[in-house]
Amino acid sequence: MSPAKRLLVHVVLLAFAMLTLLPFAFMLNNVFRTNSEFYHSFFSLPRSFRELAALGTDALRGRSGEVEIKDAEGQVLTVTRGEAVAHWWDQATRGIRRSWVVIRPYMLNSFIVSLTTAFGVALIGSVTAYILARYRFVGSKLVFVFIISTMMFPGVLTLVPSFLLVKKMGLLNTYWAMILPYIAGGQVFAIFVFKSFFEGLDEDLFESARIDGAGHVGIYWHLVLPLSKPAFSVVVIMNLLGTWNNFLWPFITNTEGKCHVLASGLYNLARSPHASNFSTVYAAYAVSSLPLLVLFVYATKPFIQGMTSGALKA
Amino acid sequence: MNWRLRSTFTCYTIVLPSLVLLFTFVYLPVVWAFSKSLYEFEVGSPARFVGLSNYTEYLFSDPTCWPSLLNMLLLTLFAVVVRLTFPLVVARLIYALPSERGRHFYRILFLIPIVVPGVAVQLIWMGLIYGDRGLLNELLRLVGLGGWAAGWLSEPHTALAAVAMVGFPFIGGFEVLVYYAGFASIPTSVNEAALLEGCVGVRKFLLIDIPMVLSQVKLILILTIIGGVQSFQNVFILTRGQPGFVTNVPGLWMYLNAFSFQRMGYACAIGVLLFLVILVLTVINLKYFKSAEQLQGKAS
Repeated sequence: MSPAKRLLVHVVLLAFAMLTLLPFAFMLNNVFRTNSEFYHSFFSLPRSFRELAALGTDALRGRSGEVEIKDAEGQVLTVTRGEAVAHWWDQATRGIRRSWVVIRPYMLNSFIVSLTTAFGVALIGSVTAYILARYRFVGSKLVFVFIISTMMFPGVLTLVPSFLLVKKMGLLNTYWAMILPYIAGGQVFAIFVFKSFFEGLDEDLFESARIDGAGHVGIYWHLVLPLSKPAFSVVVIMNLLGTWNNFLWPFITNTEGKCHVLASGLYNLARSPHASNFSTVYAAYAVSSLPLLVLFVYATKPFIQGMTSGALKA
Repeated sequence: MNWRLRSTFTCYTIVLPSLVLLFTFVYLPVVWAFSKSLYEFEVGSPARFVGLSNYTEYLFSDPTCWPSLLNMLLLTLFAVVVRLTFPLVVARLIYALPSERGRHFYRILFLIPIVVPGVAVQLIWMGLIYGDRGLLNELLRLVGLGGWAAGWLSEPHTALAAVAMVGFPFIGGFEVLVYYAGFASIPTSVNEAALLEGCVGVRKFLLIDIPMVLSQVKLILILTIIGGVQSFQNVFILTRGQPGFVTNVPGLWMYLNAFSFQRMGYACAIGVLLFLVILVLTVINLKYFKSAEQLQGKAS
């Protein structure tokens, strides 16, 4: 590939990337801006950042003395440089602090629901896949068919009757209304991934473990678990991604709004009086992206593996 | 592989939790979807058996039925077109880069947005195309086209297009990864043969690369179609079917009937109909769109 052509490919890809990331840049910029900036200088960077940068360069140049700032009521105050930094820092982080008060319980609920679901899916999925992959028993094929046939049923078919079911079970407004159906549905993909992984393991290992007198629990704990870390990370990450993003089900089952998770909570926040402060809403979006961002940075490889193994779902 | 016959009872005991969960939370709702679609009832009040009248009412006397099906069709067709083109081109461009570091960088770059919850993405897009102080309108004013500024989601003649355009330029990290995996698995011998034959550039892209990633195209096609028929989260968040019913889709109508109008049986009937649509489309897709492996198998 000629250098000119390569440059062209980079330019096109970067242009597409910028367009793709534009909404998120818009979000981040508004996290730090006041409503008045939003209305009067729509395309500017956060004023607090510019003021802080100016104070920083002043400090580097050795300037000192007092500076003037305008407070919320429009009065001009003369303050020390330290106080000015505190003022602009306070303004920059106001959206984050305000949003955190609102979304903290949602964040906690999201963690409880997602982590419990991921644990349940990994445990139940791997145990069932272990049996299906390593043993043949009367009806084992039928069991597998029973499990993968559920992929045939789209969410739109089961949404309303599932609601009627959890209502009948008295689970509305509890974590279990989310966790149990999530585990039931999520384990199918997990069993798929685990089963093909376990089938690739060497039978001799299982043979010798059995000769040593290990039972199912021993084999699972000492053999399957240590060997299957890649499969577990793919399953757990894909599951966390799905649960974290699910909006409709938590929105529907929390009729009294007791157990809202981030997805349903953000929707409510955007329609609440808090939404009159733009920075609060955009900060809430940004902060609720952080847990998955951390996971993504920490586990990029299984993330990508999981995404491409999502091909199995079809 | 050496299979061992073990106690069948033990095996069933171990897989029991899986089966119980699937039976309770998947199979039971599926059965209920069909059975309850034959009743007219609100939550908590006694049900009245009405036979197939929920179905006939939806198909023949519900004024929202055909317009919303048309909306669903248009949105799905649009989604199919854009998801089979933009991410495919981007994946091909990434694949064309000579260094592995560069290819890795772009794959990550396009994947990063998936950490933002889907609801937040849609709400941010609302902010972008909002009538008052939306980014799009402000950009139009900036370049002197302020007269074109509009309440894209609230005006009847633009609302559906606005819903469809959310997500521009439609380059999902998932699609890029899937297509890229397809390109990366093209055998070097094929690429070398193409080069020898003088088949390069756009011609190679159309005649060799795309046929080689047909199974990936098929996967995205089927996922996009299924998603297009059943998903209504975007419409729910962006417009709730407003203004009037111009952005209504059958999934949303099912939701509204169940949770706003308390017509559970009617909602179940709509769900069953959508399931049948998905089933038919999936079967057609599996039967008539051959994947690359199948095509190669036939050729050899």
